[in-house]
Amino acid sequence: MKDKRRPRLSFVWLHACSGCEIALLNSGERLPELLNKVEIVHFPLLVDHKFGGEQEFALPEADIGFVSGGVASEEHLALLYSMRRTCRILVSLGTCATHGGVPALRNRWTAAATLETVFGDTSGRATVAAEMPALLDRVYSVDEKVRVDFCLPGCPPHPEMIVHVIETLMTDGQPRLPGKSVCETCPTIRTGEMHRTVRRFLNNAEYDSDEPVEEMRCLLEQGFLCMGPVTAGGCGGLSVPLCVQARVPCRGCYGPVRPEGNQLLDMLNVLASHGVDHRAIVDRQSLLRFSGAHGLLRLTRKTK
Amino acid sequence: MKKDPLIIAFCCNWCAYAAADLAGISRLQYPGSIRIIRVMCSGMVHPDMVFHALEKGADGVMIVGCHPGECHYIKGNEIALARADIIAETLEDMGWERDRFQMTHVSSSEPERLVQAFRDMHERLEALHQNTFAGVEANE
Repeated sequence: MKDKRRPRLSFVWLHACSGCEIALLNSGERLPELLNKVEIVHFPLLVDHKFGGEQEFALPEADIGFVSGGVASEEHLALLYSMRRTCRILVSLGTCATHGGVPALRNRWTAAATLETVFGDTSGRATVAAEMPALLDRVYSVDEKVRVDFCLPGCPPHPEMIVHVIETLMTDGQPRLPGKSVCETCPTIRTGEMHRTVRRFLNNAEYDSDEPVEEMRCLLEQGFLCMGPVTAGGCGGLSVPLCVQARVPCRGCYGPVRPEGNQLLDMLNVLASHGVDHRAIVDRQSLLRFSGAHGLLRLTRKTK
Repeated sequence: MKKDPLIIAFCCNWCAYAAADLAGISRLQYPGSIRIIRVMCSGMVHPDMVFHALEKGADGVMIVGCHPGECHYIKGNEIALARADIIAETLEDMGWERDRFQMTHVSSSEPERLVQAFRDMHERLEALHQNTFAGVEANE
């Protein structure tokens, strides 16, 4: 920096769980190095800093802003607008911010139906609704509401990747994502022979626990619904994808490989073009469990 | 005001596009709502392309390929057929009517069959639009 001033970082969370922020704190030895180079002006997880509420927010000016979580209520929206005004560069951090994430699963129903189901008492009236900021009609990703300079998906994003993005943006560089699918980073054995139907994950996959994961047969070929082909890779850093390390199929938490992709459609396409019977999938729309924003999950016709 | 529907037809190079060619040479008439996009094989039409067409304003999408067992690339049209299943099933998930998509098989010597499929699709979409507008007026 020319004026020797440290770059100021600001973090806010919207409809989020704080996992993305904790992932940053989990970056080990690189964290103290990073903290020596930046100034954190706003970070609700770390610093108690009053900044208003509901509609009026007074956020400090910052060079790089990070938003985690989707936009679900009027309060989130006001906070997001305030964040956009005060940050020179805005990064959406985590799959909720980039693709809606798990909270966007409510987009299948109306906001009223969600309130009744989640907060309803025995008479079906929503009891907590009065104390909550008004819900938007659906959960939006951050880039649907404001201009975003960089999208970093992941649930949570890999700690190394978060630090890499911060360090690159500090030097006015443009960070790059791997742009590969989970399958491209997965070392399991693929033979091209698919199981003909989709099996539910009620029994373990076939593998020898004494052997490394490289000796395991591809879980999708074993008939389990592994979202690897349609999910952006990078969850394991430079090593094996995390779910595959644990010998369970990929859940799809990094969102689609191309930012504008549709995991539901692409996954069904993978199954169909390999002759697998997709009708065995119990709840098809749950394939969008991490990427239901951008209008991909629609109201079901059963909704009142 | 009545507006003609807009139909995108993905036609495979070896059967459907040749049939469309022959329909032209034979001076068979079909609705002007059809826009043909030539693809090398019906099996290369990813469902994303179908939904992209609908989102960009097409009223209906057709995939036209060779008869089963006659694919130039051996099993491309079988893949297309499997994909047509999932497209048909997910249309309603994405907020579109089932009638907006059609998979058809023709051979290169069957221009009448192709033209008939085009006409049927055109009429189906006109009926769909009429029903939609009738519904809107009834609600008002």
